[in-house]
Amino acid sequence: MAASSKKVFELFVARIPWTAAGKEVRDYFGQFGTVKKCLLKFEKETGFHKGFGWVSFTTEEALNNALQKDPHVLEGTKLQVHKNRHPFPGRKVNKESEID
Amino acid sequence: MAALLRSARLLKFSPSGLLQITGPKRSGPPLGRLYSGAVGGRRAGVCSRQISRVGENASSRVWPYAVGGVRNYGAATERRDEVSVAVQSKQANQFDWALAKLDHSVKRTGRVTKTLLLRIFHDICRTGYPSSNQALLLLRSCGSLLPEMPLNERTELAHHVWGKLQELRAQYDVSHYNALLKVYLQNEFEFSPTDFLAKMEAADILPNRVTYQRLITAYCQKGDIEGASTILGFMKSKDLPITEAVFSSLVTGHARTGDMESAKNILPVMQQAGIEPGPDTYVSLLMAYAERGDIDSIKQTLEAAENADCRLMDRDIMQVIFVLAKSGYHEHIPEMIECLKHERGYVPDAMNLCLSLITQGQEDTAFLILKTLPVAQFENLGDAELGNFFLRHLVNRDTSLEKISRYCKELQESSLHSTPLTFSLYCALEAKKTDTCLELMKLVKAEGLPLRPHYFWPLLVEYGKNQNTTGVLEIIKAMQGLGVSLDLATLSNHVMPLFSSAEAAQQAFKAFGITTKSGGFVCSGIRLLAGTNLAELYTLISDPSFPPLDIQVFCNSLLTGFKKFNDMDSMVKIVVLLYNDGRFTRRGVNTTDAAGFFLYNLIDSMSEKQLKAQEKNLRSFFKQLHTQNITISQNIYRGIKNLLELYNTPELLKNVNALKRSEERTSISPAVELREATDNGAMVLVLENRLAELKAEKKPVSPTLKQAINALCAEENLQRALKLKQQYEEDMTPSIYALLINLCCRLKNADEALNLKRELNRKDSSAALDGRKYVTLVRTLSLNGKVEEAVDILKEMKEKDVVMKDPNITGLFHTFCAVADTGDVDAVQRLQDTAFTLGLIKPSANLCSPAISAYLKRDDLAGALEAVQQCYKRYKHLPRMHDILVGLVEIGDTESLQKAMDFMSHERGEMIMLYDLFFAFLQAGRYREARKIMETPGMRAKPTRMQWYAEKCISTNQMETLEQMVDMTAKLFDCDRDDMYGYILQLCKKTNNWQKAEAMWTKMQEENFIPQERTLRLVADILRKNGQNVPFEVPETWYDPAKTPQLVKLAAEAAAEAAAAAPPPPPTAEKTAAAAPVRDNYDPNLFALCKKGNVEEAYALVKKADEQGLSLRPGSYDCVLRALLARGSDEDAMVVKDIARSHLPNFQLSENANNMYIITLCKKGQIEGGLETLKSMLQSDQVPSFHAITKLVQALGAQGDVERIQYVESQVKILGIATKLSSMLFPNNTALAHIKNGDVESAVELLEGLYTDPHTIKSSMSFLFRKVLQSDDDNALDKLSAMAERLANHFACYIPATDLFLQLLEMGKVEEAKFMLARCNAVAEQKTVLLSYVTEKAQMPGQLDKIKTLVSLIPDAIEKEVLYSYTMKCHDLDKDFTSAKALYKEMMEEGIAADELFLKRLAALYRNAGETPPFIEPPESFKFYANKLRESRAKAQATAEE
Repeated sequence: MAASSKKVFELFVARIPWTAAGKEVRDYFGQFGTVKKCLLKFEKETGFHKGFGWVSFTTEEALNNALQKDPHVLEGTKLQVHKNRHPFPGRKVNKESEID
Repeated sequence: MAALLRSARLLKFSPSGLLQITGPKRSGPPLGRLYSGAVGGRRAGVCSRQISRVGENASSRVWPYAVGGVRNYGAATERRDEVSVAVQSKQANQFDWALAKLDHSVKRTGRVTKTLLLRIFHDICRTGYPSSNQALLLLRSCGSLLPEMPLNERTELAHHVWGKLQELRAQYDVSHYNALLKVYLQNEFEFSPTDFLAKMEAADILPNRVTYQRLITAYCQKGDIEGASTILGFMKSKDLPITEAVFSSLVTGHARTGDMESAKNILPVMQQAGIEPGPDTYVSLLMAYAERGDIDSIKQTLEAAENADCRLMDRDIMQVIFVLAKSGYHEHIPEMIECLKHERGYVPDAMNLCLSLITQGQEDTAFLILKTLPVAQFENLGDAELGNFFLRHLVNRDTSLEKISRYCKELQESSLHSTPLTFSLYCALEAKKTDTCLELMKLVKAEGLPLRPHYFWPLLVEYGKNQNTTGVLEIIKAMQGLGVSLDLATLSNHVMPLFSSAEAAQQAFKAFGITTKSGGFVCSGIRLLAGTNLAELYTLISDPSFPPLDIQVFCNSLLTGFKKFNDMDSMVKIVVLLYNDGRFTRRGVNTTDAAGFFLYNLIDSMSEKQLKAQEKNLRSFFKQLHTQNITISQNIYRGIKNLLELYNTPELLKNVNALKRSEERTSISPAVELREATDNGAMVLVLENRLAELKAEKKPVSPTLKQAINALCAEENLQRALKLKQQYEEDMTPSIYALLINLCCRLKNADEALNLKRELNRKDSSAALDGRKYVTLVRTLSLNGKVEEAVDILKEMKEKDVVMKDPNITGLFHTFCAVADTGDVDAVQRLQDTAFTLGLIKPSANLCSPAISAYLKRDDLAGALEAVQQCYKRYKHLPRMHDILVGLVEIGDTESLQKAMDFMSHERGEMIMLYDLFFAFLQAGRYREARKIMETPGMRAKPTRMQWYAEKCISTNQMETLEQMVDMTAKLFDCDRDDMYGYILQLCKKTNNWQKAEAMWTKMQEENFIPQERTLRLVADILRKNGQNVPFEVPETWYDPAKTPQLVKLAAEAAAEAAAAAPPPPPTAEKTAAAAPVRDNYDPNLFALCKKGNVEEAYALVKKADEQGLSLRPGSYDCVLRALLARGSDEDAMVVKDIARSHLPNFQLSENANNMYIITLCKKGQIEGGLETLKSMLQSDQVPSFHAITKLVQALGAQGDVERIQYVESQVKILGIATKLSSMLFPNNTALAHIKNGDVESAVELLEGLYTDPHTIKSSMSFLFRKVLQSDDDNALDKLSAMAERLANHFACYIPATDLFLQLLEMGKVEEAKFMLARCNAVAEQKTVLLSYVTEKAQMPGQLDKIKTLVSLIPDAIEKEVLYSYTMKCHDLDKDFTSAKALYKEMMEEGIAADELFLKRLAALYRNAGETPPFIEPPESFKFYANKLRESRAKAQATAEE
């Protein structure tokens, strides 16, 4: 709760290749600053992720660093990176899967 | 486009060549040779190509608009579309959308996927009653449109679709049988033609020409010439035309009996019969040679086709390639690939060929074809991805890995695909082919590419769904074998849930020989220990050799372990470890914060009961932490403090306070913190006398003079009028001159008109006539040889700035046309040019045309051509080009025609030139030449141009020409066949030619495309109007006025009978017999009655039909049922349902009907029934609507039925439609149910949990407050109110408090609202919510008081300008003029500017009151200003955000 009042520095990342999971996305965005949270949901029905996720940084600087770079390439695929305009979706369901 | 023009430019167009072909000699000048097809080789063929071949390739002509433009054929993208189709179609109640999707797929790719087809089929079956046209669409999709499915499966699917739709009472006509035949032929399905005919006879359907043609083809495919001859004989006896299609089939037939000589001889036989062999015939012959691998004969035949002016398309060559591959003559394929020209639409055709080849096990040939495809240019990094569709189909067809690997290698090496292996793996995973996946992974690994744990998830998910433990363990073993560590996410999400306990899992692993030492197991072990044995956990993790592990991995388990409070020592030790050791926190996170946050989570995870029970333990725990020098930050402290205050445990708080870091002791007040958040003769005599009198009296005479002259003009007495003019020379005014000039013009007296005009000019040089009189004068002068004078008048018009209105411009155009009609070319030109140069009128194609018409009038085509070129140069218009070209073609002036073509190509491009030439040839009746133009490579449909010519044909009744055009465009790229047939039918309707209309319907079957409903309706209308039977089911329109009289009569009869309520007379034999043919009247009428809202009559009609023992169509019953439900007559609806069931045992309520039924029952409080309906819907795979669910849940809430709300919630979750419902539906109603049961605590607990959970989406609970306030349940209100305050004050969650405050206001409980505000002043800060309340109130009259109350309580709730705007809106709604005026005055005094919308509203009030507003009313519309305001606000907001 203490964290909810804090400013958040979040990215919405789309077109993530299927070969990358949360770890790869987190590692990639780690070059811009400390990644606080990386959310890439896998579909329970298929076992594949939907190709989009959210990355949050601890500082505004890291967020800006990431936003300034273009293109973002991960595993040979160009990612679509935007500043997140909507809050993270409901995600408490399983806290422990978030680090995937 | 560029590519297209390039191909068109390949041949320099020479009309001379074209014109000479029609002559007796085939040779002409070199250019002509080129055109007859020798040089360019592959062009132009004149032949009748009406039949779609029985081809293997899914060809675009199968569908009306098959094949679109060039686009991205990424197969992966397509697959993703399908997923969304699946989801969306499930949610869409109407399947029209899905059908459009199917149509789109065929247009785009020339194929459909099985998945898409099945989903649509399923949807049609589930949602409603398939129309005859939908059935046709589905059936036709079961043939070569499915290249990915083996032939036998396609036929099985077709039979399944046929049977199922028949069960659903879809009406089949001959077109359906023909479609099924086509599918049989495409799928090479062996069937007995005699049985097929018997089946049609049994269904009472007469075969038509198309049926016989296809049956002949079927016999020929089997090599049964005798069978084919029998049908051929039958067709001849019925006088049915024998078309090229029949001959092509015979070619195949003879070839299949092994008699190639007879096959070849069909061609001369055809020519003797007067039919030129076309591409279809040549392709049949080519395919016959291909079956024998006779490449020499293939080459000879190709050459023969070329010499016969018969152009074969890529698609034709592809069929030859396909046959060669299937027959095992792979060595000749590269030679045939060389023949491919890569025409428009090549890509989808080639892709479909690839897919078909793979399906037939011809991967190597498919790979050869794949390599002919262009590599798509991605904006993305230039990464190649050629062949995704190829790889996916290989995987799906279980092609050997050795082959896949070989293709992948080649694709990658030739840089056609950057990641073929990984993509193949993706496809295999998608298809859940475990063995293939694992093998591919080995290959991926060998390539040095990473293998990751999540690659195994799609497989694990599949086994998990089936609870297949062994399968899962095998995957785990394989993972380890591949050297992929079993990570925690894999273990906890995909493995552990299958086992009863961790121990059971461990044992199973051991038994399976899986090592349990990987990272995932460690984590899994840690979790296990954290929940059970803290001491052991501490020992393990405190060991310095223990790897770094984020506490989040085992946080939940650790909390569980802590809450047991059975090992305080270890608890403290663990916190201390977390506090000091960086291994358990993520980089960049302070270890002390992580430990503090853990403590917060500990308190947060405990309920009030638990907390109280463990208070002692907690106090001791915190004390010990204090002694260990553990401190917590201000933030964490505040969080814990809020939690503890809620539970009223002050002592415990003291212990926590002790942990608070000293440097942060300066506390910030919570209030400050909250602020931060945001319409004659005798008469002439009389007049003349009066004039004389006035003159004598020296009074003004002008008005009377005008009246007199006007009267004389009316009797066209110019002499007398002129006499009067002389008499009263000085009293003439310009307007009297105008009358006289106009009379002269009318009498065509140009000289006198001119005299008068000059006289007028002398008297008053500034006087001007009106536009109409000027134009009449120009017309009289120019038609009487005074062109120069006319020109002067035009100049004068310009000088005097005469306004040219549309009728004046048309007048001038008619003047030019009249001059042109005299053939005086120079005069027209002079006039036109003057008018344009002066800028009096703007040149348009129409206004420029009279000059050209003048040349055409004199039959001077060369002059006309010259003139039109000049016109183009000057005004960029090409008037009457079509007439010039037609003229040139008719007289055979090749030289001028060439000139015209060159000019057109140069100025307008070759495509437009070709269309102009095409229409000219068509108009001149030179069909052969016209056809050649349509066969020019690169031609594509230009719908607007074809529509222009078609409409020209329709208005001049040129049926032959029109038919020719439609026929010639059958294979034109991107040509909308439905539109083309629509034009012929429009002319049929105009000329009442029903025979032609019927023939067109047959021809549509032959072309094998699905006509649109409006086209079918057009055919049906023409047939009905001429008293003919309509051979197919007609899609109904309820708004058709033609049906109304009959309908009203029928309905009135039925209603009268029902009203009399007399016992129904026993149905006599006579009556029943009379009734039978009436059935067809019922269905459409019912439909119309329902749509018009005459539900009673519709209901009476259904009952009447039932009494007559008539069964109606299920769709009709459903329609009446829904209409009854819409009025809440559920009992009547059930009567209809029972009637329907008595006739149709399988009758079920449609999805919409069920939804309406639920709503009706819920409204009546019959919740049981509602719930039962919901259950039956779910069972029959129907999706309930959001509205129905909402009503049901609300009804359950009002009844206090918590359990069933939960049941509905769980069902909705399974359906996956929960996201479309209001997120508060279930919580609000569950809480309401608790309250209803007197259990307010549970309601509070539920809501509080919801609002304090930071991870849920929260929205308004106004609904609940409204219900509680309406029920006057003070106890519940108190508790909910306390909760709202708590949430606001401790959790900074203001939604409930604000909702309550506004509901109190809404109910008029102002005092209570005031208290609420006093207790939760943060409500005043919720401006967005307050503003939306005001916005909502300002939508209805009489709500101003509420807004005023709100503002009195919270003065700064709404910005002044905004508040004034809404107040004005309320005054406007309330028609309160006085208050509105006062408001305006107040605003003026305060110096606040009123926006345009405000002024617009106020001005309207002033007008209604008959007063003039004291300001200028804004000139634009309401909407205009509303949009303007909206935009400016959005802009302001955007700026604020940045």
